[in-house]
Parts: sequence; C-alpha cells; structure tokens
Amino acid sequence: MSGAMEFKRFLAHALEMEEEAMNRYRELAEALREHNNLLVADFFEAMAAESAKHLAEVKGIEVPGELPKFAPWDYDWPADAPESTSYEAVHYRMDLRRALELALENEREAQAFYAQFAETTTDLETARLAASYAAEEAEHARRLEERLKRLPPTSPSQFEDDDPAQSPE
Amino acid sequence: MSAPLKARDYKSGVKPIWCPGCGHYSVLNAVTKAMAALALSRDDTVLVSGIGCSSRLPAYADSYGFHGVHGRGLAVAQGLKVARPDLAVIALGGDGDGFSIGGNHFLHACRRNVDITYIAMDNEVYGMTKGQASPTTPIDWDHSKLTPHGPGVRPFKPAAVALAAGAPWIARAYSGNPNQMARLISEAVSHPGFSFLHVLSQCITFCPEQTDWKAVAHEREAEPLTDAGEAAARFFAESGFETGLLYRNPRASWPPRSEHQPASLADIAERLRV
Repeated sequence: MSGAMEFKRFLAHALEMEEEAMNRYRELAEALREHNNLLVADFFEAMAAESAKHLAEVKGIEVPGELPKFAPWDYDWPADAPESTSYEAVHYRMDLRRALELALENEREAQAFYAQFAETTTDLETARLAASYAAEEAEHARRLEERLKRLPPTSPSQFEDDDPAQSPE
Repeated sequence: MSAPLKARDYKSGVKPIWCPGCGHYSVLNAVTKAMAALALSRDDTVLVSGIGCSSRLPAYADSYGFHGVHGRGLAVAQGLKVARPDLAVIALGGDGDGFSIGGNHFLHACRRNVDITYIAMDNEVYGMTKGQASPTTPIDWDHSKLTPHGPGVRPFKPAAVALAAGAPWIARAYSGNPNQMARLISEAVSHPGFSFLHVLSQCITFCPEQTDWKAVAHEREAEPLTDAGEAAARFFAESGFETGLLYRNPRASWPPRSEHQPASLADIAERLRV
C-alpha cells in the first residue's frame, strides 16, 4: 500500500473511532439524564464534547481525494471501536468514579490502538500522526487518573435503590 | 446526487428511554449501521414490532414503522411484505413477545418463509413489566418474586425451534459486538426469504448476571451449517453463546411468484369487487 493510501486508511479509522466515541458518550449522557443521574450524565456529556473536538481535529486534516470507505465490520478492530464504552458496563445507579474508570479504560484502548498503528505502519507520516494521537490519548488518560485520585471510593451501596425496579408482587 | 446516508441519518429525533446498560441500544445502532451499509431508502424500509422494551425500537429509527399488538409483529410484517414486496421489512421484538405471546406466529413465519427479517432481542426476562420469567429464562433464575425458586421449566431454544419450523436462515448475535451484528443484519436483509436473527441483548437491570455474557459469547469460525439434521444436533447441544451465521439452507419463499400479481390498487379493488 502506498504511503498516501496508508495515511488515508489511518484517517478513516481515526474518524470512525472518534465519531463512535462521541456518539456513545452522547447516548450515555442522554440515558443517564433520563434516569436522573445528572452528575454522571454531565460527565459523559463533557467526554462527548472532548471527542467532538478530537473528531474536528481529524476532519481538519486535508488530503487529496476521498478517504476509503469501510463497512462497520471491516475496520481494524475485532468488535467495537476501541474508544467506545461497552454497552453492558453502565448502570442507572453508577457513580462518577465508575464513569471515570470506564472513560479511562476507553482512553487507554484508544492510546493502544494509535500506538499499534504507529508501530506497524511503514509510512512515516502516518506513524508520526498516529504517535501524536497516542500521546494525546495518554494525556487524556493521565488527567482522568488525576481526577480519580481526588474522588472518594465507591460506596458499597452504589447500586442500592430506594425504589428498586424489581416488581413488588 | 445526494450524499450517502450515514447510520445516524437513520435515527429519529426520539431519544431511547431504555435503561443505561441495556443491550437494545446496541441493536438500534447495529440496525442503523446495516441500513446505511445497504443504502436502504428510508421511505422503502419498514420496522415492525410487537410490545415490550425492545419493541420501542421502530420509534427510534427514521423509517416507516409499526408498533403493533403484543406478539403480532410478525403477522403484520408478513402481511405488509406480501402486499408490498418492494419494501424491505424488518420485524423486531423481545423473547416474551416473540416466543411466548407471539410463539405461534414465530413458528408459522419460519414455516411460511416470507422474505422478511426477524430480529428477536432476547434478554430472558419480561423487562417492561418489571422482571418476570420469560420462555428463555434459565430454569433456576430466582430473581422474581413470582418465581422465587426459578421458573422450574427448561428454557426455549430459539434456534432449534426456528430450525424445526423451517427457517432457512438462522444467526445469532451479541449486543457486545454491534459491528458483527450489523453485518449479520445486512446479510439477513439481503437473504431472499425469512431470516431469523437471535440477539443476546442483556437486561442489566433485572438480570445483572448477564454482564457475564461478554466472557462467554464467541464467534463461530466455521461456515454455516447447511444440513438440517446436523444443525438440529448442534442447536440441542450448544451453549447458546456461539454467534455468527449458524445455518443457511435457502428455499423458495412465499408467496410464489405469479404472473397474476396485481399491478395497482385498482387491480386489487377489482379483484375484491362483489
């Protein structure tokens, strides 16, 4: 594959990954807000805004011609895009610590993906951009780690609900 | 020429009210990704559902939709496809809707082989009515006060039942792998005949143990089975967590092609005139 093609392939992956991350965070924010977990909803909204900024940055890179098109299942990740929060990992009663831990996991996955791309590509320009994105994700992860240190530990009663969903037959 | 639609263009402005963590979010994303990949026209695609949490899905998609009567999504979907064969028709629902209340329609849809896709979102529980045992609930699931010692009845095996009833295309997906699910939906819609996609779609509110599905769901590596006897043996013995296209044995769909298809509404009116 030529260097230009490799660069475009990388951009197509970065675009999809950032867009998926943004959409998933927005979806989570809306779902948590609907369930009146406003603190976590606001956090996910802020993460969506961060992803939107990164998406705009990737979109701002000009390349001649079009980026390659992939079906959702043809990207270089086995199941879900690396920075997308797992569907089953959230809960309407989750606390901010849990939300931060999930976001941290996402940032680390994104960092690993970009780092792997940087290491394996034979195109220098692609390697440089992928490495810079990996460094950005590492910085995001570091900030989340700092924030986590300042949070109290998760309460054992995190998932306890005064009005549980289970039917009271 | 207008730009190709993206998955988000197939979502409506109505926001889902499913619980955070629900697998149905993944199904909605997979459906819209498949619609985008197939470049389906929003005006020529209809999502039909029954009743239940999962059956809310058509409201969240920007296509035609029909939120029908409990268990009767398949009946409406088949009628629609027979009347309007030009449309892409996808029926959706949950395990209670499809395998209990609508169980009879499920059997006959498999047998009849009308060219539609049926996506059953199975979370092994009646979620909308707050957590009662459904046809696919494990025998010893004791979370509901209605069945404090578990339902005590062995669960329904959707793939085995679909096969026995004559379904020519059977696949399974897991909500933790939305991109594989999108591929399977896209293949299902392209299959000329009835296609049944069984989705393991967790309900973390009433069945928090289903978060463990992530560890056991695995993709089938072999080609789909084509021999019904071999598939039956497989579906009876399997764990139920193998995903992918499991069985494919195409046969002529119903109704058969006829030279006497009505060409217009006027033709239909003429035929019905007494």
